[in-house]
Amino acid sequence: MSTRRFIIEPRGLASPWLKLLVPIGSVLAALVVGAIFLALTGENPFSVYSHMVDAAFGTSRSIAETLLTATPLILTGVAAAIAFKMLVWNIGGEGQFIFGAIFAAGIAIWLGDGAPAYIALPLVVIAGGVGGAFWASIAAVPRVYLGTNEIITTLMLNFIALNFMNYLIFGSNSPWRDPEVATFPEGRPIPDATRLPEFFERLDYGIFIAIALAILAWYLLGKTRWGFQVRIVGDSADTARYAGIGVPSKILGVFLLSGAYAGFAGGLFVAGPVGALDPRSLALGLGFTGIIVAALARLNPLAIIPVAVLMGALINAGPSLQSIGVPTATVTMLQGAILIFAVAGEFLIQNRIRRPEKAPKAAPSSGEEASPA
Amino acid sequence: MVDAAKNETLAVELRNIDKAFYGVKANSEVDFQLRRGEVHALLGENGAGKSTLCSILAGLYRPDSGEMFFEGEPANFKTPKDALAAGVGMVYQHFRLVANLTVAENLALGHPDVGIRLDQSELHKDAVQLGETYGLGVDPSARIWQLSVGEQQRVEILKLLYRNAKVLILDEPTAVLTPQEAQALFKTMRQMAEEGRSVIFVSHKLHEVKQVSDRVTVLRGGKTVGGVDTADAEPRDLARMMVGRDLELPTRDVGAPPGEAVLSVTDLRVQSDRGLEAVAGMTFDVRAGEVVGISGVSGNGQRELAYGLVGLRNPTSGTVILGGNDVTSASVLQHIKQGIAYVPQSRLGMGLAPGLTTEENLALKAFRDPPYSKSGRLVQSAFRDEGAREVEQYDIRGVRPGLPIRLLSGGNLQKALVAREVELKPIVLIARSPTRGLDVGATEAVRNLILAERERGAGVLLISEDLDELLALSDRLLVIYEGEIVGRMPVEDATAERLGLLMAGQREEASA
Repeated sequence: MSTRRFIIEPRGLASPWLKLLVPIGSVLAALVVGAIFLALTGENPFSVYSHMVDAAFGTSRSIAETLLTATPLILTGVAAAIAFKMLVWNIGGEGQFIFGAIFAAGIAIWLGDGAPAYIALPLVVIAGGVGGAFWASIAAVPRVYLGTNEIITTLMLNFIALNFMNYLIFGSNSPWRDPEVATFPEGRPIPDATRLPEFFERLDYGIFIAIALAILAWYLLGKTRWGFQVRIVGDSADTARYAGIGVPSKILGVFLLSGAYAGFAGGLFVAGPVGALDPRSLALGLGFTGIIVAALARLNPLAIIPVAVLMGALINAGPSLQSIGVPTATVTMLQGAILIFAVAGEFLIQNRIRRPEKAPKAAPSSGEEASPA
Repeated sequence: MVDAAKNETLAVELRNIDKAFYGVKANSEVDFQLRRGEVHALLGENGAGKSTLCSILAGLYRPDSGEMFFEGEPANFKTPKDALAAGVGMVYQHFRLVANLTVAENLALGHPDVGIRLDQSELHKDAVQLGETYGLGVDPSARIWQLSVGEQQRVEILKLLYRNAKVLILDEPTAVLTPQEAQALFKTMRQMAEEGRSVIFVSHKLHEVKQVSDRVTVLRGGKTVGGVDTADAEPRDLARMMVGRDLELPTRDVGAPPGEAVLSVTDLRVQSDRGLEAVAGMTFDVRAGEVVGISGVSGNGQRELAYGLVGLRNPTSGTVILGGNDVTSASVLQHIKQGIAYVPQSRLGMGLAPGLTTEENLALKAFRDPPYSKSGRLVQSAFRDEGAREVEQYDIRGVRPGLPIRLLSGGNLQKALVAREVELKPIVLIARSPTRGLDVGATEAVRNLILAERERGAGVLLISEDLDELLALSDRLLVIYEGEIVGRMPVEDATAERLGLLMAGQREEASA
């Protein structure tokens, strides 16, 4: 009787395989779209892709660079995931990342060479988190107590943070600026005691800190009393209020934690590969890319770790494309395509599409399901 | 031919209708015949497939297979618009009215004859005339938000009559009405039937079905169990057809002497969302071991009374003493810790976290303490073990590991919610319409849980708009109207008429 050719209906419980298959499929689909695009512009997609794989994983040096880029992405990814899980739309990871870097570099410069590394390094990393949380608080407090829209405020604060960093280096003689370079303004190098040691090519120990922090986030949200309350608030604020949970304080806490994670990323990046508050090395959009990482990992802090490595590889492959005459923007396009497919794939996890049954079987289904609502 | 002669009198016929939602059959091999000029009751537990069947008739859903005939012709309604154009309309439980428009404007909305210009005076005249003819009087210039629920329902029916619907489907229309309003509705239904229109009347209430309908079709588990003439059907038989077994209504000893007051409310005043005084000075006690029923038409302060008593809204004045402690302006958490349990009206909107699992929902209030958590960490095994025990003990069906609770059926949702609250071993249990919309089996389970709390010595405050529920559970009844208590009586003295009059705002001398 029905003339519809396809039926879309909500899925009850998606299988774990599907949850794994959809992100992988999103990446593959994006690669196919990218290949078509490359072919249309006269490139050989296979040689471009193999060049990219080489650039990202071909040598021990490139592997180290990939992991170096993955390190902040893990943290900005977790930052986005923590907030999004609770329906707090913090898209200010970029600004919080920058403020993490400003605080971390500031503490490092203030400490100078006086403090031993085992005191200085933790302080620098923590300062990064504090900086990110501080920048998030500017959006979080009005969100919680006045109901402002955090999408707008966090987005705007990104630009303020970026311009503030530029001002510190290019527009003023701040302590962050290197006084010894007169030609082109640069960030003042932070003392050696506040730098993370390298252990594999340029790769430093920041990657382990990032992984540990991602695991900590997973533990906090999934295994603690606080995390349980956060999940209830994220699921239904009215239910949380009914169960005696302080909703504003939970939203505030999650917002600040999210900012802190983005700030950690900035701090680790300064204490690791960059070594100064250097706008050209920091303003790479790592906070924004974290949103893609979080979406592709379906907001799971543990899944974010491999996804961040993948994104790191993609970003690192970009500049190398120029050597074979392909624009670096190809990588940006691929990132965008991956995000679109990941979001579309989420629909497939929540819903199923099937052909209508032509001849319903006479025998009723095994009856394992309770009566329909 | 006999068949042809019979078809002559059929307004609607459904043959062998199947409809499945995510693999679960909501309707299976359903046959249904609606004659012209009859009131046809559709009976069945929740999940029996009544709403699905009505929605198929009204064009909202399309059957997976089967045949549908309207006045003898094959019909294939693609949308509710198609159905209404043919003459089949439905009044949903949640009204489809535009709150900011007037009654007349709502009637005109979507009407095919209404062009770009709206002739208000013509429209008003039609509305008044239709209203007078059918006993559905409402002011055509009133805006929907100004109307009571009963009046809004009248507008919904008027909308269908204005479109000259020949088949009117009313989905549980009496759930929101006072007994008097329900009687008026029944008169309207009979009148429409006498004119040759057909009315499908969905209800849970046997006495209403008995009173108003000509024939009854009973659905069970998505299938038609049978159709009978109402005159031949005993309520007990209908109930048996619905559940497939004999009903066991809870028996109770009303005379058990209650203990001392566990909840004392004095001159309580609580504001509504709009800042009006929704609870306007209520004074009452609930004693240990008794069920006090609060009876009233919805919107007379029930919500604010409950919110004020559980800490969701601070009273503007008055005092609330819970088990000897003043909790008037305490927080929700303090209320929970002092021994208050609360079954809210909205299960998925407030009582449960829809996206979390059943286990997690069962721990929604107790998670702060052992065994669920120790020094800030959750104890997963406690969630699992306690969850499994409660699922078993309270017969919560359909639970699977990792399954969000929102995918359980209404009855199982409510069993989980009430189970969690009684597991708190509260001093006072406040329940709002706890069996609203539940099937007979789940209603019985929930009622028994509430009566068990009373046995245990808890004070129970039952806030409900359902008289059957109130009479089945309460020891004493308080009737509220516009935020005040207008009548008090032991349950033995309650009659539907007396309660109905009080609920409709007719005061009597305060007693008991």
